[in-house]
Amino acid sequence: MKGKACYTLFFASLLLCACKRGRTKGEKYRTIIDKIQARSKNYHGVSISSDRYITGQTIAVTENSRTFSIPERKSQITSYACTACHTKPLKEMQGKGFKSAHWDIKLQHADSQTMRCTTCHDMTNPDRLKSLTGEPIDFNRSYRLCSQCHAKQFEDWVGGAHGKRGGGWAPPRVSMTCVNCHNPHKPRFESRWPARYNTQKVEESK
Amino acid sequence: MIGSEMRNKRKKWFSLNLKGSENQKTNACSCGRTPAGCQAGETPKRNDGFEQVFDVKMGRRSAFKKLTASLLTGAGLVNTTCSVTAGKGAKEKAQIGWDELFKGNYKLMTDAEKEATVKRLVRAYQLRTGKTIHMSAKNAESDVLFGYAFNISKCRGYMDCVAACVKENNQDRKSQMQYIRIHEMKDGKGFNFNEADDNYYHEVPAAGHFYMGTQCFHCDNPPCVKVCPVQATWQEPDGLVVIDYDWCIGCRYCMAACPYDGRRFNWSKPEVPEEAVNKNQHYLGNRLRKKGVMEKCTFCIQRSRAGKNPACVDACPTGARVFGNLLDPNSTIRWVLENKKVFRLKEDLGTEPKFWYYTD
Repeated sequence: MKGKACYTLFFASLLLCACKRGRTKGEKYRTIIDKIQARSKNYHGVSISSDRYITGQTIAVTENSRTFSIPERKSQITSYACTACHTKPLKEMQGKGFKSAHWDIKLQHADSQTMRCTTCHDMTNPDRLKSLTGEPIDFNRSYRLCSQCHAKQFEDWVGGAHGKRGGGWAPPRVSMTCVNCHNPHKPRFESRWPARYNTQKVEESK
Repeated sequence: MIGSEMRNKRKKWFSLNLKGSENQKTNACSCGRTPAGCQAGETPKRNDGFEQVFDVKMGRRSAFKKLTASLLTGAGLVNTTCSVTAGKGAKEKAQIGWDELFKGNYKLMTDAEKEATVKRLVRAYQLRTGKTIHMSAKNAESDVLFGYAFNISKCRGYMDCVAACVKENNQDRKSQMQYIRIHEMKDGKGFNFNEADDNYYHEVPAAGHFYMGTQCFHCDNPPCVKVCPVQATWQEPDGLVVIDYDWCIGCRYCMAACPYDGRRFNWSKPEVPEEAVNKNQHYLGNRLRKKGVMEKCTFCIQRSRAGKNPACVDACPTGARVFGNLLDPNSTIRWVLENKKVFRLKEDLGTEPKFWYYTD
């Protein structure tokens, strides 16, 4: 009888040991997901802030009920406001006798069937952009223009899976907007050489 | 309460007090009572520092060993301190050297002791090079658990992260140590590390290849911590797995235990040109290491505990790296975990890494 009890006790303790996996001192979580869920229930926020790492002007954005900031854009565009030059309708500004402008921009964004300058730029008011249906879009909110086609990327960006953070990880959140990383006229990233080559590793693998 | 205050005041290692009366007040008490009255409120005595080494029962043989070691150190110290020719700087150096040699494990230190060792290290660097560094001993914030996500679809293999990491963390330039490895893998073969190349040098991204990065994953069930015979590595409350470089004995058990090749060893004295040293440091992070100790990625503890992103996250031009607080339900890292199809490396090992991979 006593031996049986001993065996039961032994197996019980074995079971207990097996369940211990994944635990850290004083906590009883089996997986990291359990731990995150349990410990974030009473989340009170953090005392650190990334305010002091945020440089430049930002504007607040609320999309899909998530609020964050993006860098202000208009002041960063060298030739803004457009109406400083575009005083006449476009037709009257073309041809000889006019200084050529925007010669450095070659549109490499989708094909000509899909995109041309006026798909995004408003001919009647060059100081703003326009949606596919002709609704005005502010230069500071150009992500609304991109999101018309790139809906998937937009959703990821709002959530935080696409794009880069400004400031730090701590709140408040500042996210780079589309045009901070992608040239809207040529959005693809260039291929280039890696920043680093480890010659020592080559030496060691010989 | 009184007990913890007492503990902060109490010195746990022996010092020679070469500077004069400054340290005389070791028996003084902040509670206003007599020392005897204070004793009543004191918590059970912990062994730290000097006592960790000497206040243990030991055999004749080990006692002799320790005595010899300390005699050798002491002789050197006495030689410097009692010398008439040795300057004030040399004496201070010797004092710092003594205090540093007999300090305790960082894990067991009180905040005051942490501040003291950091102060000593800053002063030692000043005496050695004439330059002033900033070293932090900032503890983990409550309600913070750091996590990392890596977008495999977005990494293009530029290795800007690796370059930034080396600079930020004062890694040995001579052996070209790097915490991060970017693996170039063939499309359609999955994670095949046998055929992957982590030291490519050609225009990237190469056709038919994808890129993924590995570094320390700061496991929630870290095997490296379990095997350390001297508890020189541990997990902090904010989830960072850290190393006390001054407590590490260089046995490299942790290196063998890590299933992700996350740990690096200093086979030689790390060399960082003085002008390239990142002077914004943390005790558990990028402070200068010595020969024969382990080191690894700390999620840039000197940056992350101050609210910044790790250097690799900031350096990545494609936004493939996401870092944040796993406990904040509104953080971007949480959104990634809840909305993307995430997975981790070798999940079946039960190491519970806090480093997730995902694709677009």
